[in-house]
This record gives sequence, C-alpha cells and structure tokens, in this order.
Amino acid sequence: MFRNSTNFQFVFATAGALVGLTALLLSFNLMLDVRSFHSSEKELFGPNSVVIQKKVTKLTTIGMNNTEFTPEDIEMLRSKEFITDVAPFQSADFKVGISEVPGDGLPHFYADMFFQAIPDRFMDVDVDWSWNENSEYIPIVLPRDFIMIINYGFAQSQGINQISEELLMAARLTIHIDGNGKKTTMIGRVVGFSQKISSILVPESFLHYANGIYSNGNIINPSRVFITTKDDSYGELEELMDEMNLDISQASIDVAKIKTIITVVIGIFGVAALLIMLLSLMGFVQYSQLMLSKVSYEIRTLIRIGYSVKSIVMTFIIQMIVIFGIITVCSIVIMMIVNVLVVNVWLDENGIHLEKSGMGPSVILAVLCFGLFIGSNFLSVRKTIFKLGKSS
Amino acid sequence: MKLEFKSVLPFPLQDYHHAEESVWKKGFALNFPSRVMLNASSGKGKSTFVNTVYGVRFDYDGTVLLDDKDIRQFSLHDWIELRKKSISVVFQDLQLFGELTAWENLQIKNKLTAHKTDDEIMLMLEKLGIPDKKNQTCKTLSLGQQQRVAIIRSLLQPYELLLLDEPFSHLDEQNSAIALDLISTETTKNNGGFILTSLGSKHGFEFDAELKL
Repeated sequence: MFRNSTNFQFVFATAGALVGLTALLLSFNLMLDVRSFHSSEKELFGPNSVVIQKKVTKLTTIGMNNTEFTPEDIEMLRSKEFITDVAPFQSADFKVGISEVPGDGLPHFYADMFFQAIPDRFMDVDVDWSWNENSEYIPIVLPRDFIMIINYGFAQSQGINQISEELLMAARLTIHIDGNGKKTTMIGRVVGFSQKISSILVPESFLHYANGIYSNGNIINPSRVFITTKDDSYGELEELMDEMNLDISQASIDVAKIKTIITVVIGIFGVAALLIMLLSLMGFVQYSQLMLSKVSYEIRTLIRIGYSVKSIVMTFIIQMIVIFGIITVCSIVIMMIVNVLVVNVWLDENGIHLEKSGMGPSVILAVLCFGLFIGSNFLSVRKTIFKLGKSS
Repeated sequence: MKLEFKSVLPFPLQDYHHAEESVWKKGFALNFPSRVMLNASSGKGKSTFVNTVYGVRFDYDGTVLLDDKDIRQFSLHDWIELRKKSISVVFQDLQLFGELTAWENLQIKNKLTAHKTDDEIMLMLEKLGIPDKKNQTCKTLSLGQQQRVAIIRSLLQPYELLLLDEPFSHLDEQNSAIALDLISTETTKNNGGFILTSLGSKHGFEFDAELKL
C-alpha cells in the first residue's frame, strides 16, 4: 500500500540524516579524544596548573606594596569556581648556601640559595621525592633554564667548564643551613629539572623539618601560588590576572588558550552537526506526514474495516526503523572509515599522538540518535493516524 | 444487539421537512437479529443514517444508543473492536483499495478476522460471478463488480449487524437477488441481522421490518 512513496523529500531527508549523524559522531569522537588527553597523566600540553605571582612594580621596589598573597587572597582564589586546586609555595625561613662536595667532579664554588616547596601533586617531574631524617641526601629539583644559564651564559663568561645534566645529577652538593642561631651542613642532590616551575624545589617534608629547627620565627606569606584551573577557563583566568595584578608565565597561558580554542572549535562543529541532525529529523517527520497525507484514504479505510491504530502505526514505524537503521549503520561505518583513514593519518602526519578513546561511546550516541528519530517519528505518526481515525 | 434512535436529527437535514413516519422525527428501537429495509428516495439521508450508526459521523442532535449505550461515548478503540467483531458495512462509495486486486482487498479484511478460508472466499466470488476478476486491480473493475467485491468483504467478519448502503445500485435484479441470498445465508450463519437501504426495490425479499426516512 505504501509503494511508490519515494520522492525528493525522502532523498533529502535521508541524505541530511546521513550527513548530520556522521558529522555528529565524528565530532563527538574527536571531542572524546581531546578530553582523553585532557585527563590522562602524560598529556600533550600538561595539566592546567599554573604558577601565579603578583607583578613587581615600581611601588614594590620602594617598599610601598608587596607581592605576598595574604590569607584573604588565598581564600579568594579558593572561592573561584573555575579554580579546582590552590597551593601556595612554601619558603625556607633560613639562609641556604650550596657548595661542591670535593671529589665529585664539580669545580669549586659557593652560592647563596633559597629553597621552596610545593605539594607533591603539582610536581611536573617524575622523581623519587621522598625525604626523611635518615635519608642519605635531600632531593632537589632545579628549573631547566637554570642549567642553560650556567652553561651558555655564566660558564662561558667566567671561563669555567660546562656541566652536563647527567654530571650535575651525579654529583652531590653540600647544603649550608644557617638560621635561628644554628648552623649545619647536609648533603643534597639534584634529581631532576622542571620545565614549568622556576624555583629551587625541595620536598615538603624536608622544608617542614628544617623550618621547625632553623626558622627565625617569621611568618612568611607565600608570594607564589600554584593553581589548577578547569578546562576552557582561559577567559576567567585572564580576568583574574587583571583583577589581582598577576603575573603568569606566558607559556602556561598559551596552553590554556590553545585548549580553549580547540574545545570551542570542536564544540562549534558539534553544534553544527547537531543542527543538521535536527533539521533532517524535521525532514523525516515532514516526510512521514506527507506520506500519511498521501495515503490518508487508505488509512481511514483500514480503520473503518477494523484495523487498529497500533497496527497501522507499526507498519509505518517498521519502515522507518529499516530506513533509519540503514542510515545509522552507514553513519557508524563512515565515521570509522574517516577516523582510520583521515583523522588518524592527519594526526600522525602532524605529530600529534592521541590516546584513542575507542568507538564505543560514539556507537552508543548513534543508537541514542536512532532512538530519538524513531521515537519522534512514532509520536508524530501516531498522532496523525489517530486524528485520521477519529475523523472517520 | 439493540439499536435505538432518540430524536436523532443530522445537522444537514435540519431544514428539510420530514414526514411523520420518518425515523429522523419519531425515532425507533430495533432488536437484532432481524432483517430491516430502510426505504427512502434520494437526499433523505440514507448514507447519513448508515454513517451515523457506523460511528463515522457525529454531526447530529439527539442520541443513538447501541445496547443502551450512547455511541458518542465510544472511544476509537471501542469502534475498531465493534467494526472487527459486531458491525460490518458496505459503504455506498464502497471504499475499496483501488491499487490492490480484488483478492488483496478481500485478504486485507480476512487477515484481520481470519473468518473464512481462501476456498470459502473463492466460493463467494464464484457465486457472485466474478471469480475471473480475482487478480484484477479494483480500479479497473466496473462499478457492479466493485460492489460485489465490497459485499464479499463485508461478509469476511462476524457481525450482529450488517449495514448495506445501496449495495445493489449497479447490479441487475437477478444479480441483486443472488447477492441478497448470499448476504442472507451469511447473516443466518452469524446469527445476526442487517439494515439494507434502498431506493424502493425490495429485490423480492421478505423483510422483518421496514424503516422510512
């Protein structure tokens, strides 16, 4: 009875549904991939952790304001919705100097220093970071820039030998500690270099211990704070920088910016795909309405000779299930092919390695869309047939 | 089954003058099984009568009762059940599926009710003289042939009441008598009754009652 029902509207609705669903699945899949490198340990861009500090101004230099974060400032940061973690840097409240351990291969030197500590969860280098009173040495992490300055600036101008990272890490250092009227020396060792944190870091446990013995009793407000922000919160971060007159390393801002842009772009793609989907859904509903109005005489007559609304609706819906089932399967297949042959190849060529998140969620999304299509068509068809039945 | 009209007057017929004995005025109550003739000239509302009883149109004043229940209260589902099991019809405009063959038209009904075997349906076609039209699409059949298909279709279900709206208008007297004989036989088998509307001819049949419009 519903033969000869192929027409342009059907072709357009089918094509629209196919394109829309495929695009939706692709963007959804890509979005998942991007999420996966947001959340995995070894990330492309690193976590959304940035070090913030207040800008040093002319007033600061003459002592009119300072760059410390007061407890109120910290509380304010914690209350921000887009900041998920706040950790102030802790500083040593004693004097620190380092010199070589004779015989370990370093030239003779002595330098005044400072120590800071951050919670372990913010460490961006994977090193053995444990320390207790019986430890052989104090682990130290230096900024990677530090060795650059030594080797390509300081060493050349002073005529001393350059030091490799390996040598620096192999050699022990003598740590001179002076505070609270007591002096001592301990052994330290450079265990790693941080890309992100421009400070000289020691384990929190050591700093607690040493501050307990050698502290001069000053209350030191932190001048640098570690914060972790949510994804896509570049805008809020920038606002906060203006508000508190903050300094943030440009590199970490760029990362936040790139992440935000990527997410927004994929989001827009996803929204566009969703719109195409909805349009084609409307197309299908229209198509089924058209089909129904073309066969309204037949439907009315079927109801007049005793066919139930349900059985007529089912006849329609089974057709819809077949048509849209084919569309859904095609979409999934196309998405997989595009993923393997285009997206992955393109990512490889551009040197981006993503942890692929698998097709499972996309397939589930496809099935949900299938359900949505069938459901909405079912409701629309049933309403119309019921109306036809009532008017018979 | 009891069919009762109480002061029923369709909107389109309100301005006409109706005779004293017209069912539109005085109403009636009939108990089925019985064979009833509804006699009236054109334009008096025969089709309106059939369509009203069949629950197809509701544009009337008054009350139609089926087994003492107001048919306005029936849901679509109730009507569909009635049309499957209790009330059958031959519409004046037949309402066949023109794109389908005569056989398919009959099968569409019989599939729903499983009332007759294929052989029995074939026998009916033979009795009404159109076995050779079985595989012809209905739109290519003559009106008389279409009428016979519609009559057979109306017999492919159990019924207590069969409504026949001028079913013989394109049949000659002889074929009308054969068709009426078939209808009567089936009605007896179903232990049901029918209302046959006609322009006046009784087709040589003895009716239990006669209504006038």
